[in-house]
Amino acid sequence: MEETPVDFLSIPVSTGTTILACAYRTGVVLAADSRTSTGAYVANRASDKITQICDNVWMCRSGSAADTQNVAAYVKRMVEEHAMERNGTGFRENESNDRAMMVDVRVVAKLTQKIAYENKEKLQAGMIIAGWDRVRGPQVYGIPLGGSMLEAPFSVSGSGSAYIYGYLDNTYKENMEREECEKWMTEAISLAIARDASSGGVIRLVTIHENGCEKQCVLPKDHKVCDGELEQVATTTTAMV
Amino acid sequence: METYDAVGENNFNPSSYHGNHTKQHATWSPYDNNGGTVMAVAGEDYVICAADTRMSTGYSIMTRQYTKVDEMSPKTLMASAGFMADAATLKKLLKGRCDQYQFANNKPIGCVAFAQMLSNTLYMRRFFPYYAFNIVAGLDAEGKGAVFTYDAVGSYERTNYSCQGSGQQLIMPVLDNQLKTVSPLVLPAVSSATPLSEEEAIDLIKDCFATAGERDIYTGDAVELFVMNKDGIRKETMPLKTD
Amino acid sequence: MQDPDAFDLGGFEFSASSHNAKEGGFTSKLATKTGTTISGVIYADGVVLGADTRSTNGETVADKNCEKIHYIAPNIYCCGAGTAADTEAVTGTYYVYFSIFQLILILKGMVSSALFLHRKSTLRESRVVSAQSILKSHLFKYQGHVGAALVLGGFDIHGPQLFTVYPHGSSDCLPYATMGSGSLAAMSIFESDYKDGMSEDEAKLLVARSIRAGIFNDLGSGSNIDLCVLSRAGTKYLRNFEIPQERTYIRAEGYKFKTGTTVINKRNFQTATSTTTEPKKIL
Repeated sequence: MEETPVDFLSIPVSTGTTILACAYRTGVVLAADSRTSTGAYVANRASDKITQICDNVWMCRSGSAADTQNVAAYVKRMVEEHAMERNGTGFRENESNDRAMMVDVRVVAKLTQKIAYENKEKLQAGMIIAGWDRVRGPQVYGIPLGGSMLEAPFSVSGSGSAYIYGYLDNTYKENMEREECEKWMTEAISLAIARDASSGGVIRLVTIHENGCEKQCVLPKDHKVCDGELEQVATTTTAMV
Repeated sequence: METYDAVGENNFNPSSYHGNHTKQHATWSPYDNNGGTVMAVAGEDYVICAADTRMSTGYSIMTRQYTKVDEMSPKTLMASAGFMADAATLKKLLKGRCDQYQFANNKPIGCVAFAQMLSNTLYMRRFFPYYAFNIVAGLDAEGKGAVFTYDAVGSYERTNYSCQGSGQQLIMPVLDNQLKTVSPLVLPAVSSATPLSEEEAIDLIKDCFATAGERDIYTGDAVELFVMNKDGIRKETMPLKTD
Repeated sequence: MQDPDAFDLGGFEFSASSHNAKEGGFTSKLATKTGTTISGVIYADGVVLGADTRSTNGETVADKNCEKIHYIAPNIYCCGAGTAADTEAVTGTYYVYFSIFQLILILKGMVSSALFLHRKSTLRESRVVSAQSILKSHLFKYQGHVGAALVLGGFDIHGPQLFTVYPHGSSDCLPYATMGSGSLAAMSIFESDYKDGMSEDEAKLLVARSIRAGIFNDLGSGSNIDLCVLSRAGTKYLRNFEIPQERTYIRAEGYKFKTGTTVINKRNFQTATSTTTEPKKIL
């Protein structure tokens, strides 16, 4: 069969990615770039690779977009059922009296790991589960391709991770404060974006702590300018957030 | 699915892991098909050689103004469809041979001799052919229109009309229907030129290209008609749809 | 002499499979790629979807004015493209070859009827995410073998929404989206001229321009532009919103054939009669 330039559309959509999650003193931060590519084509330059599972647990996705989106949806459903079985309505009052669907982070990670392991022949999904719960506090679990699960102070994955392992190991500090941790992670992702062709776009951050979670977005013009990199040229197009 | 380049803790090789993958390494071919349609119609005292001007690869257009018809000698036109790099190389070689003929014989090569030369040149590359589908059109020694049609390895035939390239399947039956006359090989010889006048033939050719452009994705942009008669060669251009 | 193993195989004959394995596996010879340009954009108070109208079968144009924007619900429409090989289904002794267009029609039928029943039971307007969810779980189940690439747009209680759904079952939520072989040409228009909060007319012209980029620069796309506007005010399906180019030449006298053009070798006239007779008994 003759090859045509549209072949990129028959290549599965993959999140050639940089994803990172790290625990700080009182919570966790998840970070990701926003590039989704099919072969050499950027299918989505403003994608969201950090998916909410429940109120206190989020997931970073890397690998096949189809596989990770569907695994995330499946885990989310199982976690909701689990929460309902345990708490009746599925919601539980937390200390600030907000109705929040709180689930143990380890349970979510274990469910995800189970799906990843039992379907390892079919899935191409590298995930990081991170969250905060009252029992164990901030937690980060890496679930790489084969379906294993490792708890760690921080976890990094995706094609861009190779470029920043050294940086992260070298500059990681225990018990960081929130701002320091967010700054450290943003810098790490921008370093990966600078070197990895399949990472790019904006940097998305999700911070989870005792009182809930917040989303943030760092536009390319606010990324750290790396050595030899051109400064972002101002364009008329409105940046997608 | 090889696009995922996992590293670090994700150090799995997906290809050995998941079956049924598309190959990512380049499968290079010395040939390409650049599409396009060429055709020629011979009359009693004229010949028309026409080609569209689109040159494409896959689903993309490389140029909308590529001339596929060349004047090889004062009495010979040549049009090629197929792989344009091969067609251009072939024409360059043949033009050199035409010059050598001129120097050796002190007269330009005639279209019948040229037709034989093209056949020989194509067959010399029998096992690595020029991927070009050619038509030679000209006026013979008696001033009658002549069309020669080829396959890629030099098999050729003198006819009254011909069509080659991506629109061939669409146009050829129409030409058969409108122009089919006695074979030029029949004995005793009967005039086998088309019954149409020059104007009628131009009209038919334009309609053929407009129709082929509707249904063949590789035919379009414009059609160039080279009309050769006793007064010389004249060129007409007509726009086609560009979608 | 009957092969005793034949009974174990339930009467089927599988000798071709070992032959095919030797030849490097069986691949469907009817695999074709279907060119298309489809796109969509979100504007101030709605969504505009667009599509070209060329349907190709290899290098020939099969339909010069086909419809690629499909109904899902009164407030949801979907543009379909296909890039994967055609799916082949076997029913009994007949081989049924589904073109990508048929596949999309089946998908669309499945989703639209599910949403129809859901509307009747809940008495509420359908939501775009419902369509998106059904589509992606179906496509994920078939692991890319149902080769449909879709642009899904609609307007519901959450306002205008636009999604792309890929053959393997992933989806993106975007302010502007393109799909099909002409998607790069169309995306170049969006990437240079998209603005937040456009008016309906601005959005229609931008989508039309993106489809035109596909029509003229991608050989798999062509002919006319169809648009569909979905907003709070309702849905407008603008069939052949633009016809960018007409045929450049038509032979004045047409093609008339004189009587006798086809040689008649034999004539045989018979009087047609209607009589009821008992069928002959076959002994």
